[in-house]
Amino acid sequence: MQKILLTVDKISTWFGQVCSWSAVLLTALIGWEVFSRYVLNKPHGWVLDAQIMLYGVLFMMAGAYTLSKNGHVRGDVLYGFFKPRTQASLDLLLYFVFFLPGVLALTYAGWGFFNDSIKINEQTFSADPLPLYPFKFIIPFAGGLLLLQGLVEIVRCVICIRDGAWPSRIEDVEEVDVEKLKEMVQVKDEDIAALDKYVIAGAKK
Amino acid sequence: MIRKELWFGFILMAIILAAVVVLMPWSNMTNGHLGLLMLGLVVVAIMLGFPTAFTLMGMGMLFAFFAYWSRSSGRGDLALQQTLDLMVQSTFGVMRNDVLISIPLFVFMGYLVERANLVSKLFKSLHLALARLPGSLAVATLVTCAIFATATGIVGAVVTLMGLLALPAMLRAGYDVRVSAGVITAGGCLGILIPPSVLLIVYGATAGVSVPKLYAGAFFPGIMLALMYVGYVMILAKWKPHLAPPLSAAERVITLPAANAKISASYGKRVLPSLLNALKGERNVAIPSKVILKELAVTLAPLLVFVVIMGLTWNALTRPNEVQDVSGLQEMGANSVTIEAPSSGLQEPPSSGLQEPPTSGLQEPPTSGLQEPPGAEPTTAAPAPASTAEKSISPAKPIVTAAEITRDPAPKAFWYVFWVGLGCLALFYAIFTFTRLEIFKMLLTSFFPLSVMILAVLGTILFGLATPTEAAAIGSLGGFGLAAVYLLLARPREERIRAAKIWIPLVSAFMVSIIWFILYKAEVLSSPPTEWIGWISICALGLWALVAAVQAKMGATVRESAYLTGKTSAMVCWLFVGSSIFSAAFALLGGQNIVETWVLSLGLTPVQFMLLAQCIIFVLGWPLEWTEIIVIFMPIFIPLLPKFGIDPLFFGLLVALNLQTAFLSPPVAMAAFYLKGVSPPHVTLNQIFAGMIPFMGIQIIAIAVLYIFPQIGLWLPELLYK
Repeated sequence: MQKILLTVDKISTWFGQVCSWSAVLLTALIGWEVFSRYVLNKPHGWVLDAQIMLYGVLFMMAGAYTLSKNGHVRGDVLYGFFKPRTQASLDLLLYFVFFLPGVLALTYAGWGFFNDSIKINEQTFSADPLPLYPFKFIIPFAGGLLLLQGLVEIVRCVICIRDGAWPSRIEDVEEVDVEKLKEMVQVKDEDIAALDKYVIAGAKK
Repeated sequence: MIRKELWFGFILMAIILAAVVVLMPWSNMTNGHLGLLMLGLVVVAIMLGFPTAFTLMGMGMLFAFFAYWSRSSGRGDLALQQTLDLMVQSTFGVMRNDVLISIPLFVFMGYLVERANLVSKLFKSLHLALARLPGSLAVATLVTCAIFATATGIVGAVVTLMGLLALPAMLRAGYDVRVSAGVITAGGCLGILIPPSVLLIVYGATAGVSVPKLYAGAFFPGIMLALMYVGYVMILAKWKPHLAPPLSAAERVITLPAANAKISASYGKRVLPSLLNALKGERNVAIPSKVILKELAVTLAPLLVFVVIMGLTWNALTRPNEVQDVSGLQEMGANSVTIEAPSSGLQEPPSSGLQEPPTSGLQEPPTSGLQEPPGAEPTTAAPAPASTAEKSISPAKPIVTAAEITRDPAPKAFWYVFWVGLGCLALFYAIFTFTRLEIFKMLLTSFFPLSVMILAVLGTILFGLATPTEAAAIGSLGGFGLAAVYLLLARPREERIRAAKIWIPLVSAFMVSIIWFILYKAEVLSSPPTEWIGWISICALGLWALVAAVQAKMGATVRESAYLTGKTSAMVCWLFVGSSIFSAAFALLGGQNIVETWVLSLGLTPVQFMLLAQCIIFVLGWPLEWTEIIVIFMPIFIPLLPKFGIDPLFFGLLVALNLQTAFLSPPVAMAAFYLKGVSPPHVTLNQIFAGMIPFMGIQIIAIAVLYIFPQIGLWLPELLYK
């Protein structure tokens, strides 16, 4: 079971990470366009459309990736203090109440939206137009990935309710990776522990 | 048995539920009341801890369906179709939102800068530079936090890094634990407010306020808040020195390099005369003149920068008008864009879709407009059409020579600035000792690059030279360059030399175009860089980026930054997807009308309304995060603002300041938990919270000050965008 879960995680992660590179592309594209537009005085009409598309792809496709790393923002006033079983039961309930209907509807609606667009061969509204339907295809595609990842998360909740502990996930780069930051500024755990004497001395004063 | 940590949340939840139960007119529920019920429920649901984006999406969908269903006289299929359309349209709206697009770029820039690993250098150099101030370590921590947090915008990373660097330093120097913790947590959160910040983009996108205006508005309040923190710490250190003792002489000692120590000993402490003497004197046998010249170059750098800026300004100001107009007209012909004040092209309306004017707002040379007072610029009538035509026909005519013949006198303000600047420089060189030279060199490699980058990004946005998106992308490239240089500096010497041999020519090739362009804009050169030079430059830059990625081992940095950018953007933008569906449902149910009639029936004055709104936001800041508050509650508050005659821009500034306190208010204050994670075991969370309280107080004072003197926030946007 765990193997299937991790495989789906990997799929979401792969798509999310590949599309995350569009942040790099976006930077390069806009950098080039700024140079071309301001310094060389040669603006390109399609760049504005392309940058919007890169941005849309970036965040939509990273949705499932973020979910697989438990990275979507949660209200943390209670959740963090719950026992894993309570967390999982609540999550399980809300996956069925909020997540599944919402994402299912989005995916289904997105599919229709994409089909309407491809039927008329829709293009962006600018001097040199780009086709728009691949961009619209992102909605059902990202929705489908999200749905798949959501099902995995539901299974995780069930496992957690059974075992009383959350099943493991694949490690990923984290926003605040304390160990890495310690290494970066060359601070070791002993150094921190050694500081305790100042804290205690300060408390006595 | 309920644990005590849970009580706070449960009580809050109970209060909200009780309020909903009591306030709802259960006997005659309208759809509008249902909307309010939905609003109450969503806060409770968010507090349960399910990912907020999907809570909003699911709840929005259910209520939107209900709203459509109740209107369509029971036709479920039609209501379902409408709901689906609403959802997909809302999602697509977020996907092509041209305000939110700058979020991934600013976030990417932040991650790159964070990984450049310059924070320890920054802290050390600032700490030495500020050593004489009372509470110098705390002040240095605040300044480091302010700059680093502004550039990165990642609260967790800034607090963790400063917890690793500044906390040990402060504890060793005998600082009180609470003061140290407060300084780090408060300073780490400054990046939320000081632009370029993501919070302001999110607010701008939600409220439909232009982001450059928000940036211009938040600049001085942000600086003010930082200065208030610094002032508080300095007063505290003077008043109760045992909490923040001054550094001992041993801790501030700076060892000079051997050569400089020798020059200092034989020629005197002041850098400039000593170096000059050493260069021509005979006693310098032991020191190669190359070393002296190097030091001299660093010493003279400020003078050089001053001369270049003033020279370009003088050139732009004193150009004979005729020529200036002609160049402007020629350009106008080329672009079919009229010359406008620097504010043009900036406020592209948030909804303007994908097109924006090609080159507007660029025509003003970057340096002018800063020094010249409004009336001092000599303005004469436009030249006669005949002469214009004549000039346009022969654009190749060497304008420089023409300028040399007849120059206008520079305005008085220019000379005023010039003499004051010169005086400052003289003073600077008078006190510029060899110790200060060392500090200056450290600042040159840590403080200046970062602040120049931030100011460049911010400046181009504020002066309308580029859109926030463009500035953010250039900022990301700058972050990449910064990270590349710093990572290279951390590598062995022979690698650095090998890299420099490739980097310097490539970057110089790129700079040719940029300098040419700047000189053209400053009207020193008469034509923009030619196309093939431009192409060579851009190719050189691209090649450099590839080479740098390999040589400085940037691959992992860029990859990780990109992944993190993906995750952060997904987090923020999916929240937008959820909230746009939710807000649509709220509007469909007519909840907004009920809120509006209710608020108007209270008969509040604008001041009372403002206080009420800020109090609600402040209270919401306890259980919720700033993103949630902005995307859920701003759509409710913003439509009420015109009714009370409140400027959404001003409201946004107050909200941004207010949400700062949310970061420091227990029990959800993230900053405290990050700091706890890297502090010694005997530092308790309660101590950290206690340290944060005075800074929270300062924030509330700052809100009050901004409210009483709105000009602190509104002066700059009014000046720039009138």
